Amino acid sequence: MNSKNGDSRVRVAVIGLGKMGLLHASLLSAMPEARLCAVCDKSKLILRIARRIFRDVQVVDDIQKLADSGIDAAYVTTPIPSHYPIAKMLYSQKIAGNIFVEKTLATSYDDAKELCSLAKGFGGANMVGYMKRFSVTFGKAKDLLDNQVLGEVNSFEAYAYSSDFSDVEQGSQIGGARGGVLEDLGSHVVDVALWFFGDLQIGSAKLESVISAGSEDMASFNVKAPGGVEGHFDMSWCKKDYRMPEFGLVIHGSNGVINVDDDELQLEISKGQAGKWYRHDLGDNVRFLLGGPEYFREDECFIKSVLSKTNAEPSFLTASKVDYVIEQVRRNAGGK
Amino acid sequence: MLGGSKIVVGRSMLMLVGDNPFHSISHLSQARGRDRGDAISNADFAAGLVLSSMENGADGFMFSVSETTLSILETIRDTGRSENMRLYAIVPYAYEYVRLATQVGGISGLAKRMAKQVLFSMNFRAMAAGVRGVVKTDPVSLLKTYLFYEISRIRSSAPRQASLDSVLLHEIITEMALALNLDWLLKAYVDFMLKLGIKPGFETRNFAFLVRKFREWGMDFGKVVIATPFNKVGFQMNPSKGECEKALEEAAGSEVIAMSVLAAGYLKPQEAMDYIQVLRSLKGVVVGVSRESQARETFKLLEGSLKK
Repeated sequence: MNSKNGDSRVRVAVIGLGKMGLLHASLLSAMPEARLCAVCDKSKLILRIARRIFRDVQVVDDIQKLADSGIDAAYVTTPIPSHYPIAKMLYSQKIAGNIFVEKTLATSYDDAKELCSLAKGFGGANMVGYMKRFSVTFGKAKDLLDNQVLGEVNSFEAYAYSSDFSDVEQGSQIGGARGGVLEDLGSHVVDVALWFFGDLQIGSAKLESVISAGSEDMASFNVKAPGGVEGHFDMSWCKKDYRMPEFGLVIHGSNGVINVDDDELQLEISKGQAGKWYRHDLGDNVRFLLGGPEYFREDECFIKSVLSKTNAEPSFLTASKVDYVIEQVRRNAGGK
Repeated sequence: MLGGSKIVVGRSMLMLVGDNPFHSISHLSQARGRDRGDAISNADFAAGLVLSSMENGADGFMFSVSETTLSILETIRDTGRSENMRLYAIVPYAYEYVRLATQVGGISGLAKRMAKQVLFSMNFRAMAAGVRGVVKTDPVSLLKTYLFYEISRIRSSAPRQASLDSVLLHEIITEMALALNLDWLLKAYVDFMLKLGIKPGFETRNFAFLVRKFREWGMDFGKVVIATPFNKVGFQMNPSKGECEKALEEAAGSEVIAMSVLAAGYLKPQEAMDYIQVLRSLKGVVVGVSRESQARETFKLLEGSLKK
């Protein structure tokens, strides 16, 4: 993009070569508008393999070594607790002006707010990886709600379930490394609810430990959204028979009900139309599919925002509201 | 005997039973997959469906290598009713490894767990290649280690009369290798598999992208199997149905096997077949079944449509 040799592609570095780092590195490499030019990880094993796999890509063990790489954008795909210090370093040392952070933005609302301020001061594109906004079924639900097909929305129930830890040994600490069910799984559906209904006020909340003492494995809480909309969330990563993580909402309005998840959307209207849409019906193809079409659309959106110097959504500011909700849920549940 | 591949003659298309239902997978809706319950993952029940499909025209079984599918193969072997069964194995079973990575602390933890599994498998060829791979951090040696390990698992579970026609790289590996331009890795994989007498294969949901890359890299389409979605509604045909149809003609000579022909149950079998019949360059189809009656009816219909 700012290359001296006239290369108009966005030069990207991916920091953290775990599952999500590899996913984004691959998607960006398949995208003609972007060029993966650096990767960074702390693990010696990962670095050794990365040096053999990523040819023509700088492989480093320290973010500061990216300072002279001339990168336009950085993807932060490290474990959640490191998002804040890494994004802060990228801004403060002027390593990258456009930053994508995997969800959640930070581990506290205060840290998230600080990153929002830094991002505003820096002025580049900033985005957080809430990819459900790029799902065709949730997108269709958003269109229906915006067009007031349900009339006045009264209430909703939202859920996020997976079997990630349904059969792990009691006492295992592994879930904690991922920050708990609220951040890891529930944050996606909280973001979708914020997108659909606006800011949420948190009411009663309950957090439960299943794997080990102090781990956050199940969460349920009530919320109020603008216009008196009442909502309820239920989340668990210990649910049996959820081969893949599943997210969904049932939305009740004065005219009917929307039932939406990753795969399908059902609309029941008391007077007149009803409908059912699968991914098949909603134009789900992408230029390159890996992991799910949402990921490509998400990266495409970010890269286009960098190129056009426009805002990307969900921005840091938008995503910080998820961190706020998580913090309030913990507070109301009597935790941190 | 395992190894070696058969030639598909004329328009007599290869028909394979897929294993998605046995893992409770439904690409139409996860709820639908869950609703099938545990019974379908039971090895006896699943083996019965595979055998019933074969009695009604299927040529073999395409499966991801997992404990579930290996148990199904063992059950089929024990029935002694597996004559001429053709096997198309997909590795790795990505879901199992992603889930394991989640539970053992990421990719480093997964690598250590895998090393232990290979060691305890007592597969000496795998161990030898593995040592080279670890010492030199050589991705090709590591891939060979892994393939030796998986092939030995298949061979120890498969019926003696079955033919392991192809081992296909799972879509996650294929897509990442395509995106990251790992032509050297894919070429090494192709050479290695051909030396073992097994046709190398690739599962992909980016067929047009794969064909473009393979042409760029000078890959021989005649030597590989490609499993990729083809269906009337363009479901998972990226970037578009039209581009994939065009790419199919450009990949002439390769053994392209259509997956998702029913678009995960979205289409009726007859309308699905009407579309597949038109694609003259396809060499086979793979279809999953979850009930005995479905196995019978689907493969009878496929046989009538595709084995003329």
